[in-house]
Amino acid sequence: MKRKIVLCITSAVVMTAIFIACKKDSSSSTTSATVTALTCSSATISATATLNVAYTGTASIPYTGGNSVAYSAGSAISSTGVTGLTATLAAGTLSSSGSLTYNITGTPTSSGTASFAITFGGQSCSFTVTVNATATDCSSSTGVAKVVCLANAFLATLSTTQQASVVLTLNLANAKLWSNLPCGLSCRDGLAFSSLTTAQLTAAKAVIAAATSTTTDQGYDEFLKINNTDSVLYAAAGGGYGPGYYVICFLGTPSTTGKWMLQFGGHHYAGNITFDAGSVVSITPSHQGLEPKTWTNANGTVIAPLADEETAMANMLASFSSTELTSAKISGSYSDCLMIPGSTTNTFPSTKVGIQVSSLSSTAQANVLLAMARWVNDLDSTSAAAFMTIYTNELSSTYVSHARNSSGISGSASSFFTTNTDYVRIDGPSIWIEFICQTGVVYPSQIHYHSVFRDHSRDYIGL
Amino acid sequence: MILLFKTSSRQNKWRLLFPILLYCAALTPGICLAHQSPNTNMLLDVNTKMVAVELQIPIPELALSFKRNISESPATIVEQYGDQLKDYLKAHIHAYINKDNPWDVEIVSMNMDKGTQVLSGPPFWELRVHLNLLPNKNEDTRKFILDYDVVMHEVINHTTLVSVRNDWENGVITDNPVEVGVISRDMQTMTIKPFEINLKKGSSWKGFTGMFRLGMEHIKNGTDHLLFIITLLLPACLLVSNKKWTVYGGMKYSIFRLLKIITAFTIGHSITLLIGALGLVKIPVQFIEIIIAVSILVSAIHAITPLFYGKEIFIALGFGFIHGLAFSQTLQNLHLVSMDLALSVLGFNLGIEAMQVAVIAATIPWFIIMSQTRYFRIVKNVFASLVSMAAIGWILQRVTGNGNLVSDATDKLLLFSPWLILGLCLFSLTLFALAKRTKKAVEAENTVFLQNS
Repeated sequence: MKRKIVLCITSAVVMTAIFIACKKDSSSSTTSATVTALTCSSATISATATLNVAYTGTASIPYTGGNSVAYSAGSAISSTGVTGLTATLAAGTLSSSGSLTYNITGTPTSSGTASFAITFGGQSCSFTVTVNATATDCSSSTGVAKVVCLANAFLATLSTTQQASVVLTLNLANAKLWSNLPCGLSCRDGLAFSSLTTAQLTAAKAVIAAATSTTTDQGYDEFLKINNTDSVLYAAAGGGYGPGYYVICFLGTPSTTGKWMLQFGGHHYAGNITFDAGSVVSITPSHQGLEPKTWTNANGTVIAPLADEETAMANMLASFSSTELTSAKISGSYSDCLMIPGSTTNTFPSTKVGIQVSSLSSTAQANVLLAMARWVNDLDSTSAAAFMTIYTNELSSTYVSHARNSSGISGSASSFFTTNTDYVRIDGPSIWIEFICQTGVVYPSQIHYHSVFRDHSRDYIGL
Repeated sequence: MILLFKTSSRQNKWRLLFPILLYCAALTPGICLAHQSPNTNMLLDVNTKMVAVELQIPIPELALSFKRNISESPATIVEQYGDQLKDYLKAHIHAYINKDNPWDVEIVSMNMDKGTQVLSGPPFWELRVHLNLLPNKNEDTRKFILDYDVVMHEVINHTTLVSVRNDWENGVITDNPVEVGVISRDMQTMTIKPFEINLKKGSSWKGFTGMFRLGMEHIKNGTDHLLFIITLLLPACLLVSNKKWTVYGGMKYSIFRLLKIITAFTIGHSITLLIGALGLVKIPVQFIEIIIAVSILVSAIHAITPLFYGKEIFIALGFGFIHGLAFSQTLQNLHLVSMDLALSVLGFNLGIEAMQVAVIAATIPWFIIMSQTRYFRIVKNVFASLVSMAAIGWILQRVTGNGNLVSDATDKLLLFSPWLILGLCLFSLTLFALAKRTKKAVEAENTVFLQNS
């Protein structure tokens, strides 16, 4: 009896040990995959296709009664009806119920319906992909009409589920959903770039390009470079960094008559452009940051899209006399911009500090305008010109202030913005721009830039 | 009666992340606007005598306001700058009801720790400060002014999130601090306004019932305590002969033995709970947790083969001491004094007891019923083997600090405890009925046999 007991305890211990030791390889079965039902009628297609346009997408086919075994990728199944597309089963593991994924690629040769007859696990059915006649052509439109045309063209490439995620209600809560942080969709609305097919992403970027400047290191080019720089951070630190985490979102339905807002951005970039009755009524809040502040890509091109912003601000401060620099200096330190989301109460200080632009020399005043233009000119040239007029008219009652910049001296642009907490602010009746150097997060030995561009009366306009 | 068991977790899970999440959840539903430059967290433990404060100050920000090059070797900041830091903190922390008669600010300890800001990449060093705000005689600790501008006097964009972690008189005794506000520079005036702490009126009764609830909660979530006592009670109704568990010892025998074991365990953990709560002994949490898992293994083996028959009360008392130490961990950061502490220990212990009695009442009757059948030996051994496996899983988990297949499975399985108890009930009744029938059949057979012969 005693032996039995000892045996019993020992076996319990051994069993525990075996359980723990074996936790990794529990599925080495060779049973073939079977399902009891495939429901092609409930298939989800990631995007609609367009005649003569290269297509990539996925189809999810629900199944039930799966036998929990792994299955390997299938061979390409050609479409019938509309030809030119193929569907290929992606490898996976069955659960009791779930969806099979088919990757669909190719260029449809006609419009209509492309059908795919599939057989899996003892069941067969057929699903379809809709092929639109022609892609929307927006090349003849200009200005806001072009942005709206491209926005609709982008929407046409999306599935209904995607459309529901990208077109949201225009209200204050949604409008305030922008961030400087690498938090992807957890702090933003819309669709992540990583969830879009190549064709969808191209269409999304076309909307952004139409709403922004075409100049190198400004507007769309700057956005792309900041977006790209996140891949450098991803390579160095992984985590939530990467161009795929950037998003696009429409608040309200894009139109040339109604009011709607285009939101795009991600880590170190926030674009918020509001359109009303066919014109741009607000170009803020806007945020740009960059880490590393300069890097060289695989083609040997130096990527430093905020260098001209830094130079413009440095030139502005350097054109102040020593006395003017002293009056512009404010006490205290800034470890980040004040008007970044999540910062304290996020209301503009009621009193302007620093030096009033009207008291500066005409050269320095011109430099203040040049500095502003680095942010305003990120927009399409028509809107940018309109906003520059507003801010220029308010120039004399605009203030410039700066903090730290302990090495900064009059006449030497390169002596400014060299270390952590070196800070400058342009605060006018409408305009608000902050630019700051911060210790790097991924590269702590370097500084990196943060900036915000806001408007006292036009942020979240009318909301 | 509904029993919701969760996975065993008595460690202080509370981290820097929490108030930020709470803050975000409270202020901006669905989004989290954490700031790239990290904020200070202030946690308040309020009782009738004083307000204990824990500060978590990020070093990159403190470096700007403390004006010394502390970022170079953050690990040794306290050793290098201890006194200067104390002076600095005292110059920027003031509490009062009457401004002319401020409270004493007593810095208890300072140490360095690594913090992580939500969504902001790599961890950074932070200074953790424990300090006490001591009111003047007859002044209330529930409503006062906190004039606080550490870091913020210099770093204009810095913010401090204020949370109440423990508020004894309101029965708020949790590991989940409640955000009460933000101290920051007012953007309109660019000044830092003194912050008013104004807690809801509480009472000693609320404190007592809060502790009672905490005690119940504690047992509910501390599955391992229950598994220990249930396993120890499992064979209690059986007699021993020839160093083996044999048959049911009768109702009187069973109840007497059950009561003895439960009472011994209660006395054991009550004693160490009091000692622990007074802060008289400090034993590493991990060590206690391991011993608890060992205690479960020992009682499981005892259920299979009597190891210490007749001496169960000593085992129950001994391991009761250990379990009591685990309970006391919860009370230690309440910073309670005198009367509050006595009421707390009493309330907490009664809560533990109430929950324990409820669980025992829900399980033990079925053991008594089953132990009268001959199938009980198998049931007991299977149950005890499973418990010993779970215990080994826990021991490994607590030694290595990582979950393993067995401990994870156990934690998951125990989420279904109410159903397990219902199953136990049905199972025992079935066994009992089955045993009765077999017995009757045997008796009938015997009668027939006797009549025939």
